[in-house]
Amino acid sequence: MARPYNPDLELFERGVFVRLTGVDAGYGPATVLVGVDFEIRSGEVAIITGPAAAGKTTLTHLLRLALTPRDGRAVILGVDTARATSSVRARVKRRIGYVGENPVFIEHWSAYDNIAMPLKLTGMKPAEYAHDVRELVDFVGLGGASDLAVEKLSGAERRRAALARALAAKPNLILADDPTAGMSPGDGRRIVRLLGEMRRVGAAVVIATQDETLADCAPMDRWRIERGRLTRVAEEAAAEAFE
Amino acid sequence: MRNALTGVERALFLTLAFAAFAAAAVGLGARAFDHMASNYENARRGYAVVRVLAPEGPLGIAAAVAALESAPHVTSAEPMTAGRAAELLAQWGGSPVNAADIPALRLIEIDLAPAAPHTDISGDIVASLAQGGVTAQVIEAPDNASGGGLAARARTIALWASIGFALVMAVIISLGARGLAARRRELVTVMTDLGATRGQAAGRIADEAAILGLYAGLAGAALAAVIAIALLFVAMPGLSVESLRRMILPADLAPILAAPFVAAIAAGAGARAAAGYFHGQAARLG
Repeated sequence: MARPYNPDLELFERGVFVRLTGVDAGYGPATVLVGVDFEIRSGEVAIITGPAAAGKTTLTHLLRLALTPRDGRAVILGVDTARATSSVRARVKRRIGYVGENPVFIEHWSAYDNIAMPLKLTGMKPAEYAHDVRELVDFVGLGGASDLAVEKLSGAERRRAALARALAAKPNLILADDPTAGMSPGDGRRIVRLLGEMRRVGAAVVIATQDETLADCAPMDRWRIERGRLTRVAEEAAAEAFE
Repeated sequence: MRNALTGVERALFLTLAFAAFAAAAVGLGARAFDHMASNYENARRGYAVVRVLAPEGPLGIAAAVAALESAPHVTSAEPMTAGRAAELLAQWGGSPVNAADIPALRLIEIDLAPAAPHTDISGDIVASLAQGGVTAQVIEAPDNASGGGLAARARTIALWASIGFALVMAVIISLGARGLAARRRELVTVMTDLGATRGQAAGRIADEAAILGLYAGLAGAALAAVIAIALLFVAMPGLSVESLRRMILPADLAPILAAPFVAAIAAGAGARAAAGYFHGQAARLG
């Protein structure tokens, strides 16, 4: 039987992972994002810079389906977020990796168990994901700290653990909200380069930060947000320039 | 295992165990009441008096006793002496009665074997006496007077009261388990952020609460059973394990067996509802 035509799904199949059109969003009576237009495709990295309270975090909340648009249209991974049921939203969320400004963990669990949680949610058994999780731990440079309870990790280690958890389920869309906060410049640039690497596996990556110099770490589309209004600054430079 | 439950979880476990204990204890109490009511009813129905109408005099009594030996339902027959009548009259009237003042009686006390409901016991005995040449009347305890029917009503009330109490305890267990969900709110939030459905997030917390409820229910029910058995041995000197086993009916075990499962279900349901609410809150910021 032929599948019913779904323009949003077709958009996703054409590689457009996010398309925001004239989106307004906010909390309670406050409107934070105003008329936002944004698009990112598979294999692209976008960096969104702007001052504090400009709307970066609100935009990432919108992209991770924690907020719904008040106006306009947000199609994320082939789903119109305003019309999606809670189970569809949950399914889409499982395909989004999110590194928050203040990552939330189960503090008394080990970093390893926290990182493995997205894989558990997909129904995988510990033996099935153990190898992948160990690889991720090495990839983000967490090392032996992965066996410690998260509450015992340093700020930088928590960031690495959050990044590993965001990548664990091989998400289509990766969102990083101020991922280098509290890190040394070297560590911060390394994290951003790691995020940029995810383009190679077809993921779309959105990085929100105040630090405009991070845009030099990897080929990225550059966007600027001020007072809730998002504008495109520059398209990404050729990847070869960063090799 | 010693530190498996800490802090709030231990307090919650004890709360659930106490609620399960209370529900099981009240259930056992209701079963004990049921036994007493049943014994009372059996005692009422297991006794009757035969009034010999003819032949008159000691010959009539002797003929009736002889006929009653082979009469259906009758397990023993004893002519009522003046002394026995005086004793009964004193018991009912409250003041002493002199046996010498009581005329010759034409009454025989009989003990009856348990019979199926709606059996015409009096009719069977009268017919049997008639075959022995005796005309008599059988007087049974009335169904609707002197406590007749009271036992059945009391048993019904005890049953529903214990079920009602168990439901109240189940609500308490359910509310207590919501506290566990509140303690696990961080887990629900993280799971929600990572794309867990309401069923996944709430189910995990509900499973944990149900297991806690099951163990608490087992502990509470076991304690109630131990106390009940100890009370029986204290209240019934000479009670042996063998007679105890004969005395206990399968229905008496229902409160003990049900308590852990009801506690698990109530705790799981309460935690699931609370975790589902937290999931809804975590899923939407705006």
